Amino acid sequence: MDPVVVLEGIGVRIGGDTILRDVELELARGETLGLFGANGAGKTTLLRLMATLLAPSHGGGTVVGVDIAGNDYTSARPSIGYVGHTPGLYGELTLRENIRFSASIAGIGEAEADAALGAVGLAGAADRRVEATSHGMQRRAEFALQLARKPRLLLLDEPHSALDAAAVDLVESLVERTTAVGGAAVLVSHDRERVAAAADRTVELKSGTLV
Amino acid sequence: MTVSMWSQARSVARRDLIRERRRGEVLWITVPFGAIALLMFPLAIGTDARLLEQIGPGVFWVIVMLFGILISIRQAATETTAQRDALALLGLDPAAGFAGRSISAAALLFVFEVVVGAVAFVLYDIPLIGIPWLFVILPLVALGLGMLGSIAAGVVAAGHSGAGLVPFLVAPLSVPLLLAATQAFEGLRLGRPILNWVLLMVIIVLVLAVIGTLTARPLQESR
Amino acid sequence: MSPAIDTQTKRWPWPAAAIALAVPLAFVVVSPADTVQGNLVRIMYVHVPAAWLAYLAFIVTMVGSVAYLVSKGMRWDRIAAASAEVGVYFTGLTLVLGMIWGKPTWGVWWTWDARLTLTAIMFFVYLGYLALRRTSTDGRSRAQRSAVLGVLGVVMIPLVHFSVTWWRTLHQPPTIIRPDGPQIDDPLMLAALLVGVAGFTVVYAALVSKRMELARVEDAIVRAESTADLPVAGEAVTAPNLARGQGESA
Repeated sequence: MDPVVVLEGIGVRIGGDTILRDVELELARGETLGLFGANGAGKTTLLRLMATLLAPSHGGGTVVGVDIAGNDYTSARPSIGYVGHTPGLYGELTLRENIRFSASIAGIGEAEADAALGAVGLAGAADRRVEATSHGMQRRAEFALQLARKPRLLLLDEPHSALDAAAVDLVESLVERTTAVGGAAVLVSHDRERVAAAADRTVELKSGTLV
Repeated sequence: MTVSMWSQARSVARRDLIRERRRGEVLWITVPFGAIALLMFPLAIGTDARLLEQIGPGVFWVIVMLFGILISIRQAATETTAQRDALALLGLDPAAGFAGRSISAAALLFVFEVVVGAVAFVLYDIPLIGIPWLFVILPLVALGLGMLGSIAAGVVAAGHSGAGLVPFLVAPLSVPLLLAATQAFEGLRLGRPILNWVLLMVIIVLVLAVIGTLTARPLQESR
Repeated sequence: MSPAIDTQTKRWPWPAAAIALAVPLAFVVVSPADTVQGNLVRIMYVHVPAAWLAYLAFIVTMVGSVAYLVSKGMRWDRIAAASAEVGVYFTGLTLVLGMIWGKPTWGVWWTWDARLTLTAIMFFVYLGYLALRRTSTDGRSRAQRSAVLGVLGVVMIPLVHFSVTWWRTLHQPPTIIRPDGPQIDDPLMLAALLVGVAGFTVVYAALVSKRMELARVEDAIVRAESTADLPVAGEAVTAPNLARGQGESA
């Protein structure tokens, strides 16, 4: 079976800085990878690369079967679920308006979006404006969107930060839903133990490369 | 799963307008700011009624152009990288993003034109001639300026280089709109035909729509 | 091990530019003074070629921008950027010389002549283009965004030109002498003008060629650094070494 992610000899430079070099990585279907490393090790950069938000400066590879260095990389995007460590929500909109807006762009129905919000336990807070919610609630809302999108590759940056115990379970079930149907997940953290518990295998990013 | 471009554009425009309704930045900051500017001109250059009547329309349009940039700059200033990333991954058609942002900016600019125009009418005693034409000229300028601002904001935002550059990029390019608008007003005042100037505005709007749509994807793809 | 940076430079530009400037200069000196304008007319032999070069430069920028958007070849980006830089310089020169000529001729530094107004607006459009290029060093993304602005700028210029001309023709002509430009009847004057245009075109080509060379070396340095064994950015962060109790009274 085709792997979900294949990275070969990846190097990334941003401005004048080398962030990643010679990264080799393969993610099989159903696999959950724990990625950890110190502050500034390049974890977020690697995640953004897999999300096709960054182009490799060197090397290449595929994500959900699409060439990440080619011209057609945007066709991978519907299958990628990326939750960055800063939420991309709009502070003036309510949680419900936010998820409905995202859903309308992605072609997901309002009912489905609302149901996802309920599934992450935010039904009661759905009409609160995002600027009046906690970071943890915002993360839950972003997870809700991914629940509704059902991506094949789930990329979570520091998924456990700001979450209470119940929401940590939520991360696990989101990962399970993805991997159970042949997808793959990457969990990024600086907390090795936490990630090791949730992942099939872990790799460390050090000096811009995987060790 | 693919959503039509217009449906996406509508969602984006709706999002912008809801955000603006709750923040009230245009209504409570930019509009009063424009009104103060209208108040300052006579203080600086004299309060002779005939002079004011003569310069009134021109002052109004200069204020619309310069302060209008503040309205179209907002998306570049407020959109975060996380929000941009999220939209890209959701599959937002870049052209739909351009259309939606331009439409919402144009709607806000139109409100700005109407309110500040009313203030100018009162302060400068501008004669109201050819009111039906206003319903053509004001929306056309709003649309043109909104698209110009959206393109410039896209050029700048894709590089995260700060929104400070946008006014500088937009101002010289808004000259044809400024001339068309002021000359159309002048024509109305003097009873001359203004169809040519209105056609010029239509051409500008069409040209900007084509450029904005065609360049939206290259701009977003500059990853 | 970094690949060698190609620092080979073209030899022709500087001598060619020197010759190309010397000849028109000689013509400027030997050509007769104008019967009406006197020696002031000599400014025209620089002003007119500079203006022509400004237009040429921005056309080249547009061609480079469009070609970049189509082909994604970095060479086109370098052409567009180099030409815009030289173009802004020549536009500035045109404006300043025009004003120096205008003050004694018309009695004012500035007239609202359509062509002059258009040149001033063009100057700011491309100054903006250069300002945009300064905000980023990331080659691809900068090339993409600059190309979009390069195209937008050029498509808008005819609209600016058209509206400004139209605006001028509908208004009262300026009360001062209308800037119709000098009438050329002396063959030596015409020759000075034509030689000036030709010479400045060579200077333009020399400057653009040198500027592209510089840009190519800049790009090569960036590429060389990216493959060199430099420490990655993350290495700059080390483990905190603040010993427990340090800085506080125990």
